[in-house]
Amino acid sequence: MRARIAFLAVALALFLLPLAWTVVAAFGIVPDNSARPPSWSGSFSFDHFAEVGLAEPAFWEELASSTVFAAAAALVTIAVSYPAAYALARSPVATRVVPVFVVLASLPAMAYVIPLSDVMRRAHLIDTAAGIILSEAAVTAPLAVYVLHGAIRQLSPSWEEAAVLDGAGMWRTLLFVALPLIAPSVVATAIVVFVIDWNLLLVPLVLTSGEIKTVPVAMSDFFTFERELEWPSAAAALTISLVPVALLVALFHRALQRFSLESAIQSSDE
Amino acid sequence: MRLSRRDQVVLCAPLAVLLAGWLVGPAMLGLLATFTNYSPFTTGVRFVGLANYSAVVQDPQFSAAARNIAVFTAVAVPLELVTGFLIAYALREPLRGRAALRVLLLLPWLVSPIGSGVMWHYLFASTTGIAGYALGFFGISATSPLGDERLAPAVVMAVEVWRVAPFVAFLLLPGLVAIPRERWDMARVSGASSLRQIVDVALPSVRPLLLTVTMLLTGLSLGSFDAVLILTGGGPGNATMTPALYSYASAFETNDWRSGAASAWLIAAAVLAAGAVYVSLTRERDRE
Repeated sequence: MRARIAFLAVALALFLLPLAWTVVAAFGIVPDNSARPPSWSGSFSFDHFAEVGLAEPAFWEELASSTVFAAAAALVTIAVSYPAAYALARSPVATRVVPVFVVLASLPAMAYVIPLSDVMRRAHLIDTAAGIILSEAAVTAPLAVYVLHGAIRQLSPSWEEAAVLDGAGMWRTLLFVALPLIAPSVVATAIVVFVIDWNLLLVPLVLTSGEIKTVPVAMSDFFTFERELEWPSAAAALTISLVPVALLVALFHRALQRFSLESAIQSSDE
Repeated sequence: MRLSRRDQVVLCAPLAVLLAGWLVGPAMLGLLATFTNYSPFTTGVRFVGLANYSAVVQDPQFSAAARNIAVFTAVAVPLELVTGFLIAYALREPLRGRAALRVLLLLPWLVSPIGSGVMWHYLFASTTGIAGYALGFFGISATSPLGDERLAPAVVMAVEVWRVAPFVAFLLLPGLVAIPRERWDMARVSGASSLRQIVDVALPSVRPLLLTVTMLLTGLSLGSFDAVLILTGGGPGNATMTPALYSYASAFETNDWRSGAASAWLIAAAVLAAGAVYVSLTRERDRE
């Protein structure tokens, strides 16, 4: 027990020190490494958060775009993945197909974004919200299908059978009987998918020409030959982009415990 | 509920459209195009066989990238698995403040790969960084290890382990929590050490889960792009060049679309090969 706590304390320190260093810099407290011994300089202020908007004038707009795209992509992901996961979970033959979704989820975006950007350009979907949202949803859908399939497999089919006996149709059963029963898994999947979409770089990068940007795309040119952002401004931008997802995860930490890659496998062993 | 063939098709149709239009379809068109001289700017497309692939494979920069990513995957993925497993193992039993610990220990994964690159760029810089601060106490002025050809690859791997291990812990934790109490008790009563408990109880129970996580991490690693882009940009020299950086730079920066598309498909081929192993391993287990 004592060893466990010691280990967790060390892990916590190692994993959080870089973030703490960044957050204090965002508030203007930076190290003075040239002093002997090294010391800290600067005074506590919120100014650097305002400076982000000066260094990157479109930052707040980019933050809004990121939020809208990631939220819409997460919604599309769940909307298309849930019915498919249900169909896969309730047909015995389909179980063999399920591991293929893990392979699709592992496929790096770089493997297909070059032709994707070409197809989107020809379809006039470059620099459009629809192009970005659907492409992001396609990145995350395979993982969502796999996780939701596992959650539905854990669910006894007797509830749905009872609903069908009562005369409910397929969609009614899907939305009003099965969905509420696995709601925590669906919420957990939606949040993980939102985080992944929020942090995507390549997909929005190749589908835009600078007219709309997400935060990761903006960050990818924080340093160019002409400029390098001041550390406190960059730290403030990093802090701002971490806060929304951190809050989301903290708020839904209970539901997130239901994000399981395992249930799919366990039930297929039966 | 009994689903008819028609129901199944209806339920899967939206997913099929999304994946066909925005993932599998473009990927397949891209594959076909790599055997031709196609680029968005060519007129008169003709078949060129394996010419695009042989051009990529013969490029010393690509071979350096392929070597780097092989080492990167072979080192970083096991480190991520071990670190993530140990964190999950330590969190498996109830503990005061466990919910908060879970959230805090997931924070590094919430930082985008590109954000992590920006952050560590400054954290390794001599004037703003952690190492510069710590070494200052010994009177040493640190220079960024990212500029050192021998250190840069290790540093890039360490940063990626920092970001990904927390996600591994998050994915493994439900599996470890689900292990029935009796199994731990039995091991403890028979006097098994912590190491024996891990080997005899924990690992066999989460083996299927570990397999899936390993597949996801392998794909993630083989496609490393954002994490390296800002940190080193592939340098110094080609020390941290990856196939994905090579592919992106070819297609979008030097306008060598054909090399970009062909090298991207080599990444896809590597992931699909790993995927074939993964699928056959899961089938084997199902048969047991």
